[in-house]
Amino acid sequence: MDKRRVRNNIRKLRFYHDEMTQEQLAEMVGVTRQTIIAIEAAKYAPSLELAFRIALAFDVPLQDVFSYTADEEPA
Amino acid sequence: MTYRENSVTVSLVSYLLILGYYLVNWLSMYQAEGLNSAVIFKLWAIVIVAGIGLNIVGNILTSIVLSIVHAIKTNSDKEVRFVEDERDKLIDLKGVKVSYIVFAIGVFLAMLSFAFDQPPLVMFSLIIFFSLTAEIIGDIAQLYLYRSGVRYG
Repeated sequence: MDKRRVRNNIRKLRFYHDEMTQEQLAEMVGVTRQTIIAIEAAKYAPSLELAFRIALAFDVPLQDVFSYTADEEPA
Repeated sequence: MTYRENSVTVSLVSYLLILGYYLVNWLSMYQAEGLNSAVIFKLWAIVIVAGIGLNIVGNILTSIVLSIVHAIKTNSDKEVRFVEDERDKLIDLKGVKVSYIVFAIGVFLAMLSFAFDQPPLVMFSLIIFFSLTAEIIGDIAQLYLYRSGVRYG
């Protein structure tokens, strides 16, 4: 099996949404700020439902937030 | 540190204290007069009740202290809501799994005491010891997963 990981553009998307804070995003999607930090650092792959909630919070399709790539591939 | 991490830390400290109390009392009893069923049953009861009681009191105190700290930090009287999200639940489940594995190994080792002609009191004492150890290792596993990250599977 190849070594792929769930990567994300949450940091970039937060920046483009008026520098939305991690706390604000966490409140919007109903998780703790630590979970948002873990997702951003690719230390936690969210459930499908949470992934959709994050995409909805930014009003973008899911694939614009998350990608499933190998370590050497760009996110 | 999140509310859950604080809560797990409180649980870890309380179980460490109870284990220390249990070991000190058990060893002093074992060296002084051997295992006396009346005294050892009392010790087991204290340990089990203290384990449950300290955790409940610890969690209540953690909530109160964190609410006060949050109110002072944010300078607002808005009620703080401690969210337990999917990551917390996953880490909790993994911690419980680690605890069960340690406890199962402990029960097996305790059963082995019969092979060395030890009385049943030794076996039950070992089971109490391993149940406390399992809780401690489960809490340590949870704290480790909070720091290192957690994955499904």
